[in-house]
Amino acid sequence: MAISAATKAATDALAVNRAPTSVNAQEVHRWLQSFTWDFEKNRTKYPTKYKMANQTKEQFKLIAKEYARMESVKDERQFGSLQDVLTRLDAGNRVHPKWGETMKVASNFLEVGEYNAIAATGMLWDSATAPEQKNGYLAQVLDEIRHTHQCGYVNYYYSKHYHDPAGHNDARRTRTIGPLWKGMKRVFSDGFISGDAVECSINLQLVGEACFTNPLIVAITEWAAANGDEITPTVFLSIETDELRHMANGYQTVVSIANDEAASKYLNTDLNNAFWTQQKYFTPVLGMLFEYGSKFKVEPWVKTWNRWVYEDWGGIWIGRLGKYGVESPRSLRDAKKDAYWAHHDLFLLAYAMWPTGFFRLSLPSREEMDWFEENYPGWYDHYGKIYDEWRARGCEDPSSGFIPLMWFIENNHPIYIDRVSQVPFCPSLCKGASTLRVHEWNGKKHSFSDDWGERMWLTEPERYECQNMFEQYAGRELSEVIAELHGVRSDGKTLIAQPHTNKNGKLWSLDDLKKLNCVFKDPLQDL
Amino acid sequence: MSIEVQQGKRGLTDPDMVRAILAEIPDQPLDTQRKMNYFVKPRWRRLTEYEVLSCYAQPTPDWIPGGLDWGDWTQKFHGGRPSWGNETTELHATDWHKHRDPAKRWHAPYVKDKAEEWRYTDRFLLAYSAEGQVRSIDPVWRDEVLNDYLGAYCFNEYGLFNAHSSASRDCLGDTLRQSIAMIGFDKVDNAQMIQLERTFLAKLVPGFPESTDEPKREWTEGAIYKGARETVQDIWQATYDWNEILWACHMVYDPLFGQFVRREFFQRLSSYYGDTLTPFFINQMQLYFSQAKGITGDMFFECLGDDAEFGDYNRRMMRAWTDKWLPRTVQALQDFMGIFAKISKIAGVTDRAAVEAALGRVVDDWLTDFADRVSYKADPDTLIATVMKGYK
Repeated sequence: MAISAATKAATDALAVNRAPTSVNAQEVHRWLQSFTWDFEKNRTKYPTKYKMANQTKEQFKLIAKEYARMESVKDERQFGSLQDVLTRLDAGNRVHPKWGETMKVASNFLEVGEYNAIAATGMLWDSATAPEQKNGYLAQVLDEIRHTHQCGYVNYYYSKHYHDPAGHNDARRTRTIGPLWKGMKRVFSDGFISGDAVECSINLQLVGEACFTNPLIVAITEWAAANGDEITPTVFLSIETDELRHMANGYQTVVSIANDEAASKYLNTDLNNAFWTQQKYFTPVLGMLFEYGSKFKVEPWVKTWNRWVYEDWGGIWIGRLGKYGVESPRSLRDAKKDAYWAHHDLFLLAYAMWPTGFFRLSLPSREEMDWFEENYPGWYDHYGKIYDEWRARGCEDPSSGFIPLMWFIENNHPIYIDRVSQVPFCPSLCKGASTLRVHEWNGKKHSFSDDWGERMWLTEPERYECQNMFEQYAGRELSEVIAELHGVRSDGKTLIAQPHTNKNGKLWSLDDLKKLNCVFKDPLQDL
Repeated sequence: MSIEVQQGKRGLTDPDMVRAILAEIPDQPLDTQRKMNYFVKPRWRRLTEYEVLSCYAQPTPDWIPGGLDWGDWTQKFHGGRPSWGNETTELHATDWHKHRDPAKRWHAPYVKDKAEEWRYTDRFLLAYSAEGQVRSIDPVWRDEVLNDYLGAYCFNEYGLFNAHSSASRDCLGDTLRQSIAMIGFDKVDNAQMIQLERTFLAKLVPGFPESTDEPKREWTEGAIYKGARETVQDIWQATYDWNEILWACHMVYDPLFGQFVRREFFQRLSSYYGDTLTPFFINQMQLYFSQAKGITGDMFFECLGDDAEFGDYNRRMMRAWTDKWLPRTVQALQDFMGIFAKISKIAGVTDRAAVEAALGRVVDDWLTDFADRVSYKADPDTLIATVMKGYK
């Protein structure tokens, strides 16, 4: 066979230099933009009102195998720490019980966000037209699978090592019982996957990941470490290394629509709605988990919130997007007010409904009450007095025949659920900005706690047609609901949820609860 | 007393904090059940780590069969369409959460495997180049077949990769979702490996074009891949049902067209043209094909085809989908047969009899591994004869 000129040139080159040659990831990545082609039916199954550009780049410049190499290295460090040194230190059982219970909620709820982000970024991978942008979203799809498994691993680890595995070992089937679940589903599940594709990116990447993962994934590691938990920092900081890519993806989403003149009509409204929806849940829930779910306090939540949400995100991050027409959400100022009292309001309700949880809650100790009053002047007169009364009535003791939910009924403080955020609120008792407004639509009453959510609902009520827990359980007796939804431990009768973490305290059972004859009622029926 | 933590204090190492924590921990565990997700029905003898970490991660309303949650979606699409719905597929299941990857791969083992494949690829390329193995490749095979036609196959894999985007969004179960995403990831890896090989050749062979221009022209305008391109476009963008996308791709098109192109053309013929480089990459693609086959086989046969209530109906739908996608796949293969006119004939290797035999192997495998499992009747002789009409 004849030797071509190219072969001869290759042979000559080898004679001079036989240096080993390979190809690096960037050398492949620079061709990715050319991997697609135009054809008649080329369109997404998830259309968007925005026009995404074809030439948007991706910052991390990964190819599949290089992605795997990077993630595998991080996995080796993380699982090595968990399975070797932390296990030998018995770290999983040397966590303060208050915090151990907090992690039942935090890791399970973050897992929900990570799981739904798999589908969310699958949608964006489908919607984007630029191959590099698709590539960035694809890497995120895999990241989200990683994070789902990492959050699961925290519970898996705690199930093996922590002294109260109940709740860590079964949250995926018991989480639906309580009042915290539906709001979680709203912000971290359906808000990421149901709607205009770019709107979902704004929810997931521009708000969820660029804003609230900072307190949820970064700040939480400080609280965890302070309370003896080295499991969470080991895992969550490894998760956070991927979040940078996700924030970059959100940034690129905005870049991809920046040249669309119509984008400015929608972008800031979508951003405002996404921010308000998420802050409405995370501002109170994270503050509650940190401050009420710890023995050792790091700093008041309002300070953390101000640093991460108001200054870092609302100022710096959104500021960087200013050149693309992005403005800080108009609702940011109202959110800042919520950051002071909303988590205290929510804990009051969460503790009142403790039997519906998959974790143990505990009332603030005397020294914690001092801390609350010191950092939130006026706290004791509003909240502390109520907790003292509940404690005096024996709310922690199963023989007392008292759960704080009864106090709300006795004192005529009805608890409503905000239809848009799904967050419970008590307008007659809250110190935060919640006020009751009720609308009738489609043969049903709907309650709302604020202007922003009310406005979202008035625009598109069909998007929020969802039963809340009071409507769902109306007429059902409390212990019956809990038994049906598996809220009991392996003995079949002791509740997973408890109103204390006292090591010598008695645990409540289904029978204790049944004696109270608490029947769910929808407060909207009385209006 | 203030209990605010001073900067840098950690509860596991600070003696005072350790004492305070240990004082609160009970002497005995409060529960004996230490297995996470103990309520999951194991597929194998014991609940695996893969199942513990993957099963029921998905929040699902009670009308998506198999999920554990109850209640509705909290936010819907504009107009009120739900987040996930049974109507996104024609197939039915009593449990959308039943699927298991036979390889039990969750994220960590998945990236560990692929990371090792990357390290091994790098080592292999260094050794291959240092030895000067590139000198042995037949110039026509290298400059026309590898550049144009292997290069064009990159777009086949890239299109199929994209077909998994909506499927990974729409599917109704958690184990399914991660399996589909991983299969899609493997497909884009295939496309990238092809470009990686071309970039490598461009470094070793002066004048070998690294650009994707010519391969793309071949893919979009050439006759060899015309049927393939049209089929890939339809799987990717013209099909809404996520199960049909997966069925068309992994149960019909790829086991026939993909297997012939990869295994019976590039893999089998490479050595005859002095090419020991391409088989290295094709073998990785074949590994991914094998893994995807295990996953999709479990989904379509074990879960959906054998569903206690909907099995018969599902198999009927699968046969109907095969009726739809098989003729397009046959056309893609028939068009591809034109490639044999572009290369020098080697008796017993690229002549009609040898190509028919190669095609026979692919068709036999497909009948055994796919068609027979849903009782789909196809005549291999007719299939082969139709495809061979394209052989010149």
